[in-house]
Amino acid sequence: MDEQISIIERTSVPSDALMLFGFPDVGLVGVIAAEHLVSELKLVEVAYVDSGLLPPLIVLHDGLPHSPIRVFGNDKVLLAVSETPLPVELIYPVIEALINWGKSKKVRMMISLSGIPVQDRQDLKALKVFAAGSTPAMLKMAQDRGIEVLSEGYMVGPQAVILQKCAKLGLPALTLMAQCFFNYPDPEAGAEVLKGLAMVMGIKVDVAKLLEKGEEIRLKARDVMQRTQQEMSKMKKTQEMDIPMYVS
Amino acid sequence: MAIKKRKPVRGAVDSYFNGLEREFERWRETLFERPSWNLKAGTMEPLKDMKVTSTEVLVTVDLPLTVESSLQVKPLDVDTLEISAKMRRTVNFREFGATHHKGEFQRFDCYIQVPVPVIMDDMKIKFKKGLLELHIPRKQRR
Repeated sequence: MDEQISIIERTSVPSDALMLFGFPDVGLVGVIAAEHLVSELKLVEVAYVDSGLLPPLIVLHDGLPHSPIRVFGNDKVLLAVSETPLPVELIYPVIEALINWGKSKKVRMMISLSGIPVQDRQDLKALKVFAAGSTPAMLKMAQDRGIEVLSEGYMVGPQAVILQKCAKLGLPALTLMAQCFFNYPDPEAGAEVLKGLAMVMGIKVDVAKLLEKGEEIRLKARDVMQRTQQEMSKMKKTQEMDIPMYVS
Repeated sequence: MAIKKRKPVRGAVDSYFNGLEREFERWRETLFERPSWNLKAGTMEPLKDMKVTSTEVLVTVDLPLTVESSLQVKPLDVDTLEISAKMRRTVNFREFGATHHKGEFQRFDCYIQVPVPVIMDDMKIKFKKGLLELHIPRKQRR
């Protein structure tokens, strides 16, 4: 199915960059963080996903059509972001195509930004960020830089496929997950995952603006959250809250 | 032996049709998509969630930019709540980048139907950082 999905490059793409992913998921953490990164790092569109498998949907910006799944970047960072939730049956092929493309660009590491739902989120004063890695060395790096490892549990959605595929290909990859609401856009969690990214990779962005605009973001993100909920329900996202049964 | 009071015919018919209407509404919501806003009423529908435990029904509603003092939680009947709140400022389509729609919104408005018998009068309301939390105790079977 990979050959049915093309990554079309708009400009030259740097090699040895860090590749980040922000896809609609719990709390829209990855998308909120990605949108803030694009604006703070002034990333520009370098490539986009093209496929007849995608729903017949385009995103209009200034009256011009764009793919809902695009890669933004500068000379050091590539950021794959989707403005619409991926239909569950397209998660594997789209993620695989993006990872194969990233590999062909010799990216040095892949990091997906996401959330982990927590009960009574509204009562939490500080949100924790957890990491899962494609290799023991990646986990050690995260731990050495102060990020707690999510040692047991289930992961469902695009970030699960990213980690699995990278582990299979031997690519260094991390998933950073901030505690968040399951069903509501969570800009605070978006800010926390960016702080986690700064701790791990040194990419520092000012999250104060993101927090200031928090309520506006929650209002604006209602519809995307609603559609994301529908896809999460199809992919049995609540399994992430299940108690794992570890088979050694 | 307990004698079950019979409802007057008209009440029973009304209740039947009200139930049918609610079922239809639920079915319609599932099958047909609709926007999350109502331009005529100037309202937006907030995101909401519900969890039923053995003792209570917990409803949460995301109400960013809400004026807390304007928040209204009104039981409409034994199992339906209407929630409405005024926004701190008027919001329009242009701010969301949508120039092909015209109109503004001043309020949030939504209905919530509780799936199990509850005691609406004992409902506890919490509102923090724009998130409304309703704790409605369940009616316990004797």
